[in-house]
Amino acid sequence: MSKIITNNLSLWYGGFQALKKINLAFQEKRITSIIGPSGCGKSTLLRVFNRMNDLIDGVRIEGEVLIDSADILDGDFSDLVKLRKKVGMVFQRPNPFPLSVYENIIFGLKVHHLVEKSEREQIVRESLESVMLWNDLKDKLHRNALGLSLEQKQRLCIARAIAVEPDILLMDEPCSALDPQATLKIEGLMQRLKNDYTIVIVTHNMQQAARASDDAGFMLLGELIEFDRTVEMFTAPKDKRTEDYITGRYG
Amino acid sequence: MRTTTKQKIAFSVLFLSTLMVILPVVFVLGTIIKNGWQGISWEFLTSMPRDGMRQGGIYPAIVGTVYLVSLSIVFSLPIGVMAAIYLNEYARDNLLTRLIRLAIVNLAGVSSVVYGLFGLALFVTFMKFGVSILSGALTLAIMNLPVIITASRESLANVPYQFREVSLSLGLSRWQTIRHSVLPFAIPGILTGAILSLARAAGETAPILFTVAAFYLPKLPASIFDQAMALPYHLYIISTQIPNIAVKTRYATAMVLVGISFTMNIFAVIIRSRLRKKKKW
Repeated sequence: MSKIITNNLSLWYGGFQALKKINLAFQEKRITSIIGPSGCGKSTLLRVFNRMNDLIDGVRIEGEVLIDSADILDGDFSDLVKLRKKVGMVFQRPNPFPLSVYENIIFGLKVHHLVEKSEREQIVRESLESVMLWNDLKDKLHRNALGLSLEQKQRLCIARAIAVEPDILLMDEPCSALDPQATLKIEGLMQRLKNDYTIVIVTHNMQQAARASDDAGFMLLGELIEFDRTVEMFTAPKDKRTEDYITGRYG
Repeated sequence: MRTTTKQKIAFSVLFLSTLMVILPVVFVLGTIIKNGWQGISWEFLTSMPRDGMRQGGIYPAIVGTVYLVSLSIVFSLPIGVMAAIYLNEYARDNLLTRLIRLAIVNLAGVSSVVYGLFGLALFVTFMKFGVSILSGALTLAIMNLPVIITASRESLANVPYQFREVSLSLGLSRWQTIRHSVLPFAIPGILTGAILSLARAAGETAPILFTVAAFYLPKLPASIFDQAMALPYHLYIISTQIPNIAVKTRYATAMVLVGISFTMNIFAVIIRSRLRKKKKW
């Protein structure tokens, strides 16, 4: 089933068109990767799905983005808070708050008053377990999260996003600050998480897209050039430009 | 000339300039302490002036200054912080906000006697608060606003942009983001700015001259609608208006005034380093 559908999605930063009539469907409980060179609009596309682009002055969006059949760009759709609870985001640089591990995880819940105090322990545990950090951190819950390793920080950020119980996880180059080993571990984690979440990952690391995703889209200069099963795209690309890019002949 | 020689000359010039900054401070403090410490006693700090202010203490002036400074922060801190939040977090970069920013910078440069006259016209005369602690505190508050706004804006701007992004991505509204993900991390800087501005307010004479300060009062002020004595004005009076007063009394008064500012500054440094340790990134 399609979780996210875009219809003729275009986006302008002032006079510059960053997305050109994107038509895409992201399937539920799969990992979809968006690849492409820097500046191709892949991060911009990702940030449409939780409307983070709203923060930037001069952004204009046309077209439709349906998440669970509701158009999130519709003028009537004003509940950004609800949208962003449903669509979690993991950023390029691991960015925990300078607070304890525990406080980082319950950060969203605490503000939303979603749970009783007594349930918080349980949620912290579950969130940490689902990113496989519980065993490492169960005795360090009240240490400052800034003392963790980069990989642990990124896992913690994923746990923090998960704690709000989203359906969709947007990952914006989540491994680009990590070393190869940590990258593999995060990819392993993604495989586990796709049982429960629809994951969209933006990456400029083609090997990562090939290894970790089920579906893949290739973007160039704001256009979606090709979208297919990852296996198909990486073994038999239909478009010449896709082939050039994934074989490293691009540019 | 050889590079090493040039290097030495540059180093010496820079070092001497730095020394020039410290020297006046050392001399001022040295003179005040040398001439004033004999005048400091428990009685001096806690009793009313007697004998045309030639004898006794400066207790009412200390109390007056504390009242003024505390009341002024009650007005200036909330307004200043809220304005800073608006300017840094909400305001778009347009002509209006640029004008506001320009106004703030210019307000910080306005001479303090102008604030005094403004306070006299607005609070004392127009709003009929009379010459009172309230008028004086409001005048000081207005004088301090630009400083507090600027310091608060800077510490808000120093909170990484990522904190806001993460917070919004977790479904917090913009206000919740400011309240939970930005303000807590900006508070050390805001407090430091506020305390430093208070230290300055404590030492200003001109803004309180027409709005609150009394030459001499036999009693402590009973409410914020009373006049009060204040340290800087008291110092001015005993230095220029009262003949035959002991030198040590003048310097001791100056020492108390400088001591209050100094203590507040130290306090600001301690608070900042304490909070920084807890919430740095």
